[in-house]
Amino acid sequence: MNANTKPDPVKAYDWRLRGRAWVLGHEIPHQGGVVPGWIVTGRHMDPAEIIPHLFEETDPGFHTRCRPGDIIVAGRSFGMGPKMNGYLAMQALGLGLVCESMPFLGYRGAIGAGLRVLTDCQGATDECETGDELEVDFDSGMFINHTRGTRREYPPLADSLKEIIALGGNTGWLRQWWAGQQDEGSRDGD
Amino acid sequence: MPARQAIEARARDNRTSTASSDRDPSMPMTAVEKILALRSGRAELRAGEVVEPQPDFVMIHDGVVLSAKRELDQLGIDRLAQPERVMIVTDHEVIYPNARSAERGAANRRAARQWGVGRFYDVGQGGHGHIFPMESGLLLPGMFYFDNDRHSTNAGAIGALGFRMGSEISRVLATGTNWVMVPKTIQLTLTGRARPGVFGRDIGFVIARNLREGGSWGLNPDYRVLEFAGDLDAFDLAQRTALCSSPTEVRAYGTFFPPSAAILAHAKAVAQQPFTPVYPDEQAHYEAKVSLDISSIEPQVALPGGVHRAVDVSEVVGTAVDHAFIGSCGSGHYEDLQLAARALAGRRIAPGVRLLVAPGSERSSRRMLEDGLMKVFIEAGAVMLPAGCGVCNDGVIGPVDGGEVSISTFAGNNNGRLGPKDAKLFLGNPATVAASAVAGRIVDPRTVIDFAH
Repeated sequence: MNANTKPDPVKAYDWRLRGRAWVLGHEIPHQGGVVPGWIVTGRHMDPAEIIPHLFEETDPGFHTRCRPGDIIVAGRSFGMGPKMNGYLAMQALGLGLVCESMPFLGYRGAIGAGLRVLTDCQGATDECETGDELEVDFDSGMFINHTRGTRREYPPLADSLKEIIALGGNTGWLRQWWAGQQDEGSRDGD
Repeated sequence: MPARQAIEARARDNRTSTASSDRDPSMPMTAVEKILALRSGRAELRAGEVVEPQPDFVMIHDGVVLSAKRELDQLGIDRLAQPERVMIVTDHEVIYPNARSAERGAANRRAARQWGVGRFYDVGQGGHGHIFPMESGLLLPGMFYFDNDRHSTNAGAIGALGFRMGSEISRVLATGTNWVMVPKTIQLTLTGRARPGVFGRDIGFVIARNLREGGSWGLNPDYRVLEFAGDLDAFDLAQRTALCSSPTEVRAYGTFFPPSAAILAHAKAVAQQPFTPVYPDEQAHYEAKVSLDISSIEPQVALPGGVHRAVDVSEVVGTAVDHAFIGSCGSGHYEDLQLAARALAGRRIAPGVRLLVAPGSERSSRRMLEDGLMKVFIEAGAVMLPAGCGVCNDGVIGPVDGGEVSISTFAGNNNGRLGPKDAKLFLGNPATVAASAVAGRIVDPRTVIDFAH
């Protein structure tokens, strides 16, 4: 296949989510906050395995109440810890994540999981409460609270990282890359 | 603050395409900027930019080979970009403590064979992945490598950089690289001379206490590189490694020591390939510059809960201990073991105390056997473990019971690291740990060893 005819995955991706807000507090760690510790130490990476335990210790049954398009709005230093388990579950559930701040490796983990994520969204937890109707464009950083009729502009994702999310995270990116390698290989063989 | 970096990166992405001519080609760079620029085909590089650097090698440890192999197998990716540059190290579970571990060992051997891995260090070979490559000339000044593990920060001790990729190491294995956002650099100037009996770990704990978010330096070390400056000639490779360890625990992403003449002489003597050392430019831009007078530092003990909870040893002297460990990426060099041996020579560890020791490399184990150091440890009643992470790997081997007290040279002492949350895990330098194991309670090592001579 000619690479030029392929649609741009970043342009084709749905960067806009509309759903209900789930507002969390500050300094919720990844291990022992987003997911129980054993998920991390046991290196559980299958979303189906992780989903029932997402926010289990603070909000049991969360996965049964959230819906695709819903947005988790977290405070400062969300997801302390470098692992991506919890973000894999959020991504599989079709959720988005907006944080006031996030340690870099947690942010990297969220991107590696293919999660639509914004960080450094100052005061985001004051901009909504749980249940508000939100609309967030992760491409531009536009944050709209339809319940309150307010609108904020937050720092968008770096352009160079959007492709990873559009392709479904590290694994999806690798899948696409490998397919490209196979295409090249078959062309070489002609 | 990742997003701020992200925006800077975005601004730079845009600028590259529109106005690259306004760049000053002679812009000074920090060590990390320079090393990454060299590996990314760039004349210059700034914190916040996103690059895909070409590493000198890729390291992956025995605990995660299997999950990387599974991920790549499921995608049908059956070959690695540069298998000859992949190093598998067996340091986390050297002694298979259970059936699952033995199964993983077998899978690691299969993976190494199927992938054609160039440097496979199986059980009993090599040692601790963050120690032996520096000792044996595999990791050299100026190098850059990718690692799945965050303690790759140790590379800074020899003037190299190792970046942690976690489970994203799969992309490095398959494609040869991965995206990296260039970290900001904090410059730390050490002034003064350490007192006799004060070592790298003591100073490292004090650095962690000041450097951590909310610490006295008022910095946020998250994803920063800590670059050491000042008169550093007194610090040998072991001391530099000890200093590089603790910043990792307060979330620094890298450390860097400009290699001294002694470090370069060591590197040249053992180098398995040519290398070019890198030094920061004098006018480089640092996010912050801080200094620390090390002449006033006493031997330190980190209280349970984190390396940053450092106090003078005098504050905890007399605390009874049950368990002690010497080794880990923070204190695993031969010189660390030599230091511990000074507290053990001609003595026995106290009844009721168990002392476990893991040298950082097979090379050190052999050297200890040859020069009699091993005899000192055995005769003192220590249990010798194979080279590797030892007990520091979450107490998979040699853990503690609930309520027990441990003093060790672990990389970190977060509560529950060895299992029970109510076990008390203290940290100290190798001499403090060894002297405490002999006394059965925490002691100031200066009361046991005459460090002035």
